[in-house]
Amino acid sequence: MSTALPNTNGSAQNGTQESNFTMKSGLARMLKGGVIMDVVNAEQARIAEEAGAVAVMALERVPADIRAEGGVSRMSDPKMIREIMKTVTIPVMAKARIGHFVECQILEAIGVDYIDESEVLTPADHAHHVEKHNFSVPFVCGCRNLGEALRRISEGAAMIRTKGEAGTGDVVEAVRHMRTVTAEIKRTGGMTDMELRVLAKDIQAPFELLKETARLGRLPVVNFAAGGVATPADAALMMQLGCDGVFVGSGIFKSGDAAKRAKAIVQAVAHYDDAKVLAEVSEDLGEAMVGLNVSMMDSKDKMQGRGW
Amino acid sequence: MSVTVGVLALQGAFSEHLQLFKVAANQVESHHEGSAKKYWTFIEVRTQKELSSCDALVIPGGESTAISLVAQRCNMLEPLRDFVKVLRKPTWGTCAGLILLAESANRTKQGGQELIGGLDVRVNRNHFGRQIESFQADLDLPFLNEVTPDLVPFKAIFIRAPIVEKLLPTVDGEQQGEASITGTVIAPSLQIDKSVAKAVHLHDVEVMGILPGRTKKVKNDLGSELDDEAGDIVAVRQANVFGTSFHPELTNDPRLHIWWLQQVDAAVDSR
Repeated sequence: MSTALPNTNGSAQNGTQESNFTMKSGLARMLKGGVIMDVVNAEQARIAEEAGAVAVMALERVPADIRAEGGVSRMSDPKMIREIMKTVTIPVMAKARIGHFVECQILEAIGVDYIDESEVLTPADHAHHVEKHNFSVPFVCGCRNLGEALRRISEGAAMIRTKGEAGTGDVVEAVRHMRTVTAEIKRTGGMTDMELRVLAKDIQAPFELLKETARLGRLPVVNFAAGGVATPADAALMMQLGCDGVFVGSGIFKSGDAAKRAKAIVQAVAHYDDAKVLAEVSEDLGEAMVGLNVSMMDSKDKMQGRGW
Repeated sequence: MSVTVGVLALQGAFSEHLQLFKVAANQVESHHEGSAKKYWTFIEVRTQKELSSCDALVIPGGESTAISLVAQRCNMLEPLRDFVKVLRKPTWGTCAGLILLAESANRTKQGGQELIGGLDVRVNRNHFGRQIESFQADLDLPFLNEVTPDLVPFKAIFIRAPIVEKLLPTVDGEQQGEASITGTVIAPSLQIDKSVAKAVHLHDVEVMGILPGRTKKVKNDLGSELDDEAGDIVAVRQANVFGTSFHPELTNDPRLHIWWLQQVDAAVDSR
């Protein structure tokens, strides 16, 4: 990705904010080509770290369990997050509910390295996302299309991920979202400013960020895959589709042999273009997570529609 | 003549280095006279075969634990140690790369981590703390004079950065003194190839860059003029192994890349 990425995120007013955004998006760049794993306790965090994860996402229940158990899903207990931060030396991320800026303040006070304002938790605001510029901790947010990605970046997200459909083990939605974003960016390629202004209006994205995206030919921040990745092949598929790295949620610790699968997915992302390596690491991994077929799901059961 | 520079691409910000090198390569040619004209090729390195085609290597920023584990599992760790310590080809590590090139590191994950080695220093991982402590600072790097005489400070970006907390004496074999410290890991020792030894002079570590006044934790047993007030060591060189704890690859400033390519240019000529 270009080193000439914008440092201002389209709305910086002064030097401080500019340099803040360089730090925020800079950490995301250091995570590229890596795997970020959902963990629910310190023991799982250690397994992830030993497997070669570049970061862990601390949460109380993995998406598959949130789906099965239902109820309101919230930010995790700070005590659990702190324990994980004490246990591993890699960056620790944590999830906050969409729009719940106080959960974000708490996570920042604990000192987490990244906040995921996530549709996997129950949204706390029917219309507003968190205003992310004012935080010194960086944010990652989900998207299904280019407009959604650029709205999140404009609010201050320093990293984007596809939403996919979390907790299903079905990669189809992650693929759909990545393909959608790529196709939309491709279309901006030959557009004049006049045309970009119309498109910006149609997809409800800020014009300046859209123009920057058209110039770069990619999203102006690091973009990971998420939501349904369950196998090394799934992870490599998302990398070959142009993602910068991969989040794996329920896919690892809901499978038969978590440590082995975690290692295999890490190797698969590093060597995503080498089918021989992919074949080797895909061997004998035991049971994959059971999985839910997204095409059989009711739309009210899908998490990807949360977020505006 | 053609020179191939590889960037280790197992994980991290490798494409940023490649892009800045493409900018830098044009300017190296215009600055360098008196040696054979170089045609630079820059490649991503993931395999032993790709590594063996390289005249010089960059280990980029990323997560050092992840890079080290991935390298170990795809049998790249020993070839990398050979490249840096036996063949002594020019190598530059940024941030995670500096950690991997250190002979000694502390605050590693439980159970430690594998190092490549090559620089007789001890690094302190995540020295400044977590992500919210990441920062940007203007750094005076006098050696960049060799690239451009106008000494504009270098905008150094520190992200969960390590520092060099101690310069170690150059020893035959492993850094045994370091190995005995709890919580510190060391790199295995390897002898330099005899045919290479004539061209590469192994001397003590040179401090190339200091971040003034942030903390006073620097220890130095070598009796040089550094003292407790000196600041943090953030750039070092030993023979042709170079390490920086910050990320020039995240800036648009190619001066460090130009400077390093000039070192590679000279190293290639002397072989």
